[in-house]
Amino acid sequence: MKKTIMRRVLLTLTTAVMIFAPASFVIVRADDSLPKVSLNADNLGPRSIEELTSKVITRDYAFAWQTMVEALEQNRPDLLDGYFTGTAKQDLTQRIADQKKTDVRVRYLDHGHKLDAIFYSPAGDAMQLRDHANLEVNVMDGQKVIHSEQVNLQYIVLMTPGADRWLVRDLEVAPEAKP
Amino acid sequence: MRTFFPSLLVWIVTTIAVFAAEVHPPSQMSAGVSFSMPSSGGGQGTLYLIGPAHLSKRQVNLGTDIEVDGDEVERVGRYTVILCTDQCSASEFYVHPAGPDRLSLLVHPSRVPVSNPNAISAVAVVWDVYHNLELSPETVKFTVNPDEHTSLSEARTTNNGIAWIRLTSAAKSGVVKLQASVGKVSEIRVVQQVASDACNLRIRASSASKKITVETDPVRDCSGNFVPDGTVVSFTMTDSAGKTTVDVPIKRGVAKVEMPAHGRARITAASGVVTGNELDMGGGE
Repeated sequence: MKKTIMRRVLLTLTTAVMIFAPASFVIVRADDSLPKVSLNADNLGPRSIEELTSKVITRDYAFAWQTMVEALEQNRPDLLDGYFTGTAKQDLTQRIADQKKTDVRVRYLDHGHKLDAIFYSPAGDAMQLRDHANLEVNVMDGQKVIHSEQVNLQYIVLMTPGADRWLVRDLEVAPEAKP
Repeated sequence: MRTFFPSLLVWIVTTIAVFAAEVHPPSQMSAGVSFSMPSSGGGQGTLYLIGPAHLSKRQVNLGTDIEVDGDEVERVGRYTVILCTDQCSASEFYVHPAGPDRLSLLVHPSRVPVSNPNAISAVAVVWDVYHNLELSPETVKFTVNPDEHTSLSEARTTNNGIAWIRLTSAAKSGVVKLQASVGKVSEIRVVQQVASDACNLRIRASSASKKITVETDPVRDCSGNFVPDGTVVSFTMTDSAGKTTVDVPIKRGVAKVEMPAHGRARITAASGVVTGNELDMGGGE
């Protein structure tokens, strides 16, 4: 009798997993969607960029933004470890600490980035880029949205190579014309 | 009567919107400098200040100047100020770097062969005291000191905070100091210039009791610098037993090896792409 009950429970659980697993897979995939990033390296110097490097820079910058948005959304500085270093990481870590303290959060909806590579060091150990980012910014106090805006921001970005990826070392907003 | 109440509602909403508390920050300012922002309205409100590395929330008295400490605006970039009463109003300002105060100097490589054109690269990144990239053009002076008495300088203007230069290594091996300076700030890196590949490799040999001892003359590059110890010299001996190759690192400027002799032997030496003279042992050189 006990065996029969156990079998039924197991069967029910297996069926439930089979039904809900694809749904949760889709959700995970949706969360993992990367922001659109394009790279223009026409005016880059003094070192020319290799094709593989241009792909990796584009990919890693997209991952950096994805993790930054998640880190700020979830107040999780540990998410910054993957794609940030130096002052960029310090700044964001500090901001997350302030978010926790005040219960105020900044939420970004990332509508994409147009990167212009402007400097690639002769030894290949640093790259500077200008990012034209299109973002929707929502400031929330608790659950209440207190400010919302659509902005085009120009970032000056310094990236340096890590063991297997490029890391954002410095990320600064420069004044630019409004949308 | 039907239109009176909606109109009244619109008037009330418009009036509230018109008289909503506002704060007026300066449009731009320098990093780390305290300032005040005049505010309008009356009573109390909540002020939010959001910057690249800062987020604060505090109660403020409306209609007065709101003070912002310098340590709240140390990082450059865009800051958003939000003032909330019943409604919220937002404004923004930019913080600019405080002026050049720090230099990051990247020099590559740390060891370089002599007389190598454009082999050394130096990249200087200019920061302010708060480690903000100094985006306005600054003149960086690169100075090379090949020895105690000589100094060569060249100036470069920064573009987006970065200046760079390429240098040819000197003909003489040794330490070279490379300095970058902007204003009163400077950074120094040291590059070790080492001898290039061996040049005119010469060997000599002597035989005793079925052994041949082969030794190079002091191994130098084409500029006369000693090739560093550890550089490998390959000795190859061809005799009746066949061909034998022995790799020997240079020690104290020379490479030396003992090889068994089987009658007449031909000996050669090579280091990198350079081959030395050929010796014929057993029948004389």
